[in-house]
Amino acid sequence: MQVERRAAAGAVDGNAACLRRAAHAAMGTEFTAYIEEAGGAQERACFQSAFEEIDRVERTFSRFRPSSEIARINRLAGDGPMVTDPEVFNLLAAAQDVSRKTGGVFDITVGRLTRAWGFAERAPHLPQAQTLEEAEAATGWRYLELDPAWRTVQFLRPGMELDLGAIAKGYAVDCALGVLRAAGARGVIDAGSSSIAATDEEFATDWKVSIANPADGSQALREVRLGGRALSTSGVREQSFVREGWIYSHLIDPTAHGMDPGAVARQVLQATVLAPSSTLADALSTAMFLLGHEKGSAALSEFPDCSALWAYAEGEGAEFLGHNWPDSN
Amino acid sequence: MDSNMELIGRRDFIGMAAAGLGALSLGLDGCRSPQKVAASDWVHVGVIGVGSRGQHMMRMLLRVPGVRIAGLCDVYEPRITEGRGVTGEQTAGYSDYRKMLEARDIDAVMVSTPLGLHAEHVVAALESGRPVYGEKSMGRTLEDCNRIRDAVRRTGKMLQVGLQYAYAPWYREALASIREGKIGQVTQINSYWHRNNNWRRPVPPGGDVKLERLLNWRLFREQSGGLFAELGSHQINFANTIFGGMPESVMASGGIDYWKDGREIEDNVHAIARYPGGQTLQASYITTNRLEGAQERVYGTGGSIELTHTEATYYQEPWYPNSAIPPEMTIQHKLITGPTYSAEQPYHGKGKIPVKGAASDADLMACQEFVDCIRNHRRPVADENAGWSQAVTVALCNQALKEGRKITLAEFLGKTASS
Repeated sequence: MQVERRAAAGAVDGNAACLRRAAHAAMGTEFTAYIEEAGGAQERACFQSAFEEIDRVERTFSRFRPSSEIARINRLAGDGPMVTDPEVFNLLAAAQDVSRKTGGVFDITVGRLTRAWGFAERAPHLPQAQTLEEAEAATGWRYLELDPAWRTVQFLRPGMELDLGAIAKGYAVDCALGVLRAAGARGVIDAGSSSIAATDEEFATDWKVSIANPADGSQALREVRLGGRALSTSGVREQSFVREGWIYSHLIDPTAHGMDPGAVARQVLQATVLAPSSTLADALSTAMFLLGHEKGSAALSEFPDCSALWAYAEGEGAEFLGHNWPDSN
Repeated sequence: MDSNMELIGRRDFIGMAAAGLGALSLGLDGCRSPQKVAASDWVHVGVIGVGSRGQHMMRMLLRVPGVRIAGLCDVYEPRITEGRGVTGEQTAGYSDYRKMLEARDIDAVMVSTPLGLHAEHVVAALESGRPVYGEKSMGRTLEDCNRIRDAVRRTGKMLQVGLQYAYAPWYREALASIREGKIGQVTQINSYWHRNNNWRRPVPPGGDVKLERLLNWRLFREQSGGLFAELGSHQINFANTIFGGMPESVMASGGIDYWKDGREIEDNVHAIARYPGGQTLQASYITTNRLEGAQERVYGTGGSIELTHTEATYYQEPWYPNSAIPPEMTIQHKLITGPTYSAEQPYHGKGKIPVKGAASDADLMACQEFVDCIRNHRRPVADENAGWSQAVTVALCNQALKEGRKITLAEFLGKTASS
């Protein structure tokens, strides 16, 4: 953990709080926490507790860790209903709610599909037709049966696998912020520049978050004030490959069968969402990427207080289209 | 012979060691659905101590079919709110554990309070007539451990101590391999829990000294057993299990040498424990470097086993003419020397122990075992005897650290008993 000191990124006149910054590798990315200066031991304790909480979320929700609860569910839920703890159940239920409201493009049962495409192993490739067919047969949020009365999880199709990669990092940000709040600390947590949120609205009122050019991550094209909402971005820059002019992204639409990524995936380079929680922002940014501006805008009617900004390929740059996007530069 | 000496008799050593491979109900995943649990088999647990460890163990308990958390007790009110977040319901909250123990809807108790309070809480819970899961170490002092063990015997209620690696499949398989002689005669264990972490928890602004001592209890002598207890317990328990009992003597060293922030317990401790069979445990727990991480290496004349929190790895000892490798092992395994091997160089062969079920979470398995023991009136592997042996060894290490000299177990037990 490297701790640095710097002025608040969004500080305005008369409100230049000093911040401390520390980074932590987890969940395949780097989490960065910025907290208000509070004295050496207390700051370190806050960073440590926040990062330990992120590690706890990873230990619980990573499909790659054999001892995680998600790995246990993947091993056992095909054999019948199995009980899990309320935290895990609630996140699965929240994910399924997003699936229901986005026509199934957001789907945590894509574990077999991400493996078939090689994204799970970070070695993406075109899958064999039969492999893809089998993976598709083992995918579908409707076949994940959640029984809130008994808090049980069951796969209704054989071979299903959960992959919470499109929601767990956002959830980790929310959990870590909860730890900071409990310690009386104020700050911002950024999950690898994809999900970012603050402990409280007042603290982040003047925080401006730059939205990168999807074609060139070092170039900021838009800015938005963070405030009390969480921001998340999904795009092709993270993991994708190109075959015959088509962009194949790690963001897989389970409703699009076969190897055609669909017209949307060819055009949308990036989707950014502002939402009341980092968990929801993370999930919706994937859904908005897959749905595109038109369908995504319609789907957002189901999500109050959420906004989205899409970046479409336009020559060498990008064209932005928004839905309820704040004009707050 | 006083009651303490009685417990270090050879017969008990064997009994304790056997407990390390005692009956385990590892097939619990066979019943994963709470709908199939009979109403009479539901276990309602009251939790005393709802801090980070208590919350973690609550999550594990709630993954066991037929378990409900029925009571939350903590003197720090925010923990009750956090605990309700874990249970997902408005679980009854208590600031006084005695009130919670008066509740009729609690079948079992989990104690996850600061170490110095274990005896008070575990004994009260046992005396209330409930089986108890008590976090490690069993007690902070020999007197605490004796009180708890006596309460188990007096009440006849079951105590499972939070030595969860006793249930970890890779530990159990390693233990079985050692018992079968697959690494020859074990002569030494080196245990490390090296972390780079000041061990301090954040304290909300405005908190007084009492709150600092409550939330950072591990740093202060009144409640803490220091690094030997908080980091060393599992490894010390494993060494006791392999060596068939407790060490006959311990020498220790350590100090507050880096984190000079007002803490009272050492930020690095080291012990050399000598066992009756001529074996040695070399234990090192530090807070300023994590190269070694948490691991223990079991050295046998014919091989080694390295254990971490996730796996066990077996290294075969290469044979050479003057080695201590038993002759029968050279025949059995057809070992040959390698041309580049040098006795002066570290040797790391390859080859993992194939461990069935290694994927399991040790804490979850410990909770499954606890519930199964309650339902089937079984004695847990990590019972009061294993817990006593481990916790008293920790107390012995701390005494040697405090006095800065070699102390025998007999001396420690006699001195403490007379005082």
